[in-house]
Amino acid sequence: MRALDRKLLRDLWRMRWQVAAISLLIACGVAVAVMAYSSYEALVAAQTRFYRETRFADVFASARRTPLSIAARLGRIDGVAAVDARIMETGLMRVPGLTRPATAHVISLPADERFALNRVLLARGRMPDPIRTDEAVALKTFMDAAGVRLGDRLSPVIAGRTFSFRVVGAVLSPEYVFTPSPESFMPDDAHQAVFWAPQPAVERAAGLHGGFNVVSLDLAARASTPAVLAAVDRILAPYGGRIAYARIDQPSHAFLNAELKELSTSATILPPVFLIVAAALVHLAMGRMVDAEREQIGLLKAFGYGDLTAATPYLRFASVIGLIGAIGGGLAGAWLAVAVMGLYRPYFRFPTLEPAFHWGAFLGASAAATTAALAGSAFAVRRAMRLSPALAMQPTQPAAYRIGLLDQLVPGRTIDQATRMIVRNLERFPLRAGLTVAGLAASLALLLGTQFVFSSFDFVIDHAYYRAQRWSDAVGFAEARSTRAVAEVARLPGVFAAEPMRTAAARIKASGQEARTRLIGLDANADLNRPLNAQGRVIAFQGRGVIVSRVLAAKLRLKPGDLANIEVVEGRQPQALLPVTALAEDYSGDAIYIDRSEFNRLMADGDLANGAQLLMRPEQRPAFYQAIERIPQIAAASSRDDTVASWRKVLIEAFRVNMTFYVGFAGAIAFGVAFNTCRIALSERARDLATLQVLGFERRECAYILLGELLVLAAIAAPLGLLGGNALARGLVAAYSREELRLPLILSSQSYGVSLCAYAGAVSLAAVLVGRRVWRLDLVAVLKTRE
Amino acid sequence: MASVPPPGERAFSIRSLTKAYATGGGLVHALRGVDLDIARGEMLVLLGPSGSGKSTLLNILGGLDRASAGSVRYGERELTAEPERGLTAYRRASVGFIFQFFNLVPSLTARENVALITEVSRDPMTPEDALARVGLSDRLDHFPAQLSGGQQQRVAVARAIATRPEVLLCDEPTGSLDSESGVQVLEALVDVTREVGATTMIVSHNAALASLADRVIRFRDGAITEIAANSVRRRPAEMVW
Repeated sequence: MRALDRKLLRDLWRMRWQVAAISLLIACGVAVAVMAYSSYEALVAAQTRFYRETRFADVFASARRTPLSIAARLGRIDGVAAVDARIMETGLMRVPGLTRPATAHVISLPADERFALNRVLLARGRMPDPIRTDEAVALKTFMDAAGVRLGDRLSPVIAGRTFSFRVVGAVLSPEYVFTPSPESFMPDDAHQAVFWAPQPAVERAAGLHGGFNVVSLDLAARASTPAVLAAVDRILAPYGGRIAYARIDQPSHAFLNAELKELSTSATILPPVFLIVAAALVHLAMGRMVDAEREQIGLLKAFGYGDLTAATPYLRFASVIGLIGAIGGGLAGAWLAVAVMGLYRPYFRFPTLEPAFHWGAFLGASAAATTAALAGSAFAVRRAMRLSPALAMQPTQPAAYRIGLLDQLVPGRTIDQATRMIVRNLERFPLRAGLTVAGLAASLALLLGTQFVFSSFDFVIDHAYYRAQRWSDAVGFAEARSTRAVAEVARLPGVFAAEPMRTAAARIKASGQEARTRLIGLDANADLNRPLNAQGRVIAFQGRGVIVSRVLAAKLRLKPGDLANIEVVEGRQPQALLPVTALAEDYSGDAIYIDRSEFNRLMADGDLANGAQLLMRPEQRPAFYQAIERIPQIAAASSRDDTVASWRKVLIEAFRVNMTFYVGFAGAIAFGVAFNTCRIALSERARDLATLQVLGFERRECAYILLGELLVLAAIAAPLGLLGGNALARGLVAAYSREELRLPLILSSQSYGVSLCAYAGAVSLAAVLVGRRVWRLDLVAVLKTRE
Repeated sequence: MASVPPPGERAFSIRSLTKAYATGGGLVHALRGVDLDIARGEMLVLLGPSGSGKSTLLNILGGLDRASAGSVRYGERELTAEPERGLTAYRRASVGFIFQFFNLVPSLTARENVALITEVSRDPMTPEDALARVGLSDRLDHFPAQLSGGQQQRVAVARAIATRPEVLLCDEPTGSLDSESGVQVLEALVDVTREVGATTMIVSHNAALASLADRVIRFRDGAITEIAANSVRRRPAEMVW
């Protein structure tokens, strides 16, 4: 081994803790990139495979009773490659062990699965015997969540008739990877049951023979989706067709895509932060190393080493730091990707979810990491190359200081000399101070910027479920019914108050744009559901005027006073030009609110409602749910408490993994920056500090001089980090917001407290680890050494 | 052997002082049972080759190093029994140090380097007074980088005597200076130590310094080989460098 190689190894060992701290940051950056891209790739691969195996459709539509001949017409639309027409009925179902009845969707199985779209994959048990009418397979996620086992007999009430069957298999379906419940947009596995039974059985249960009411289409590659959607709507309109939608709007797929988008966001934001901070630290550490070794560099050059050869060890030192980080990060990333798959498997319900290793992310991040480390060392290497050997071997002159700004501001003896030393050092090395402040601020920004999620989430729940919607329970009717049905519900046990509501799918057009949404008709004096404005105040209906969700209005560039063309996709499908009177602040989903009497006038079918919102005495809830199981008109039931609980469960699961990483990684940055700053300060000031101890200074006084600088920088970085955290949170709010949930930016005092505590903890740990060295300074050696 | 000062006038009483270091090759004896009494206000010059034990003695007397065996009494105080805090307090209150490489804080001016020490001591001189005594009144606000080596060492002398120490320990104070600067530093050192009445010990390789001392102690292999008293102390300017 050449002498220079040996020197490199020994230097690495001597500076091992600094090397470790910088490599740790690089490793974090590489690990995040590898983990996030790998898990993203694995999930997308699993999704693609699942969709391909099950022939997940491109377009979905539903209608009322439609003759099978219409399916053939749909198949002749330009660009349609395959049509799958089925029967789907919805009703309530009692599940042993659940208080609230589940909503059961029963779907007919095709006669020949091979040509079907949206095929189900059998996970357990067997498919039903096609000639039997008392067997069905159930969605596996429902079975797992509701505790239903193979062989259990279930009896949903479909169109007023009890359809009793035995569950013979558990299946996975591409349409129901997630089962968002219609009113909360959040998966509610236990209460969203999906069954597939042989067609004759479903036909009999639904009383629908030789027809269909749901259809899905597979499109050829060249097809124009909007054109197909319009054609489907046109063909199905006479049969009560609701708006057809593309895969991108299919509830399960949309939910899945939002999750995947979040993953790719963290993969893009985090790694560059780490690599930039690491490059800055390499710059500082190497600069110090060259300063400390100038005599050795001079010696090498005096003995005939070329400029480049003498500077090469520093380049190699930086490359080694980069490579250690890259390899460590790659391994950690691979391990995390596997671990995260374990966490994701119960959450993303694909039949197979195999861990992947994203070589592209690993190689890209490693190259970026090594480049960052080399770039960080560039200045130091240039200095080493430029050192003249004669100058380098002369004893170092004391570093040149001058009276700085602070000295002019604070004259005389108002500050002690130890503090003056701290201040002058900061003034003498502004770039270093700046880089340290930037690194520390970045870590705090990362800590704070990612804390908003839970506070924002609490705010949304409070707004949606305790201020705008104030009902405790709600029921939905299979069809719009006279308000007498609501009065009947009001007489059921436990109901304290009941208010009717009417909803329908609708299209809204304005400014040349069109959007699908829901029209919600509420009574003018409703107490249990009121649209709220941005300030949280109730908005009253004005005549025919509609209140539009702010997000929807923004999409269509609508403002109060404008007219909007609204088309109800139900019944006689009326269209009307209605004035927008106000904008409502909805954080989840979007809707158009209208006075229910105006809604009814529009539909011209009487004083109808298709659901009721209720205030319930909690202790009588079981009795109420038992009662509605016997009422065939009620097809859905929801409870606020269950909805809020499922929101919490899903979102906390979704964000917990990310948040844990953010906090850990931000702590690593704060620690890495603080440790390096202190370590460099110690290396520069060890001699001064030992001298002071010889002269009678106590160790804690010396520790103050050493760590005071870090504390000042950490204090300066704190407000900057908080500002940065605010900005980051703003960016993340935009990145994390999705159709079903728009998070407002809420940073609570608790968020500030938690981030500042974690920040202070990381900085203090670094300070303690380096500060300990003050207790171990060799006082005798210092008398004999020169800098 | 030169005369022993009577007990009342003794600054240090050193008895059987031994210092041994464990190294890879076994035990190395830096001091082998040294006995020495040092009078208050006395100026001693310690001469000897490298590794002869003179600096080790200085370090132990300064409370920087601990003896392996033996005793060092400073007045009524047994230094070998003092805990770490006690030694720090001893250094702060009673000892001034001058180092070969000056050891000034580069970020503080001459005045502030002295103030650094006077701020933590009882009844010190003002930094201006201390610097005036070493002839640096016109360099109060200069940083070390703006001073010559001799001037830096004179700042170090001012820093050492500003607290009016009872003991002044100088380790090769002229070791990194040319002869002219060396003489200037020694002039300042001799004058101010006389004014503050400090017991002064100078460790040096330079035998010319012997003529400045009341007594010259010669070391070899961890033991005192000779103690010689000067009947007349010379001025540094009269020294043959």
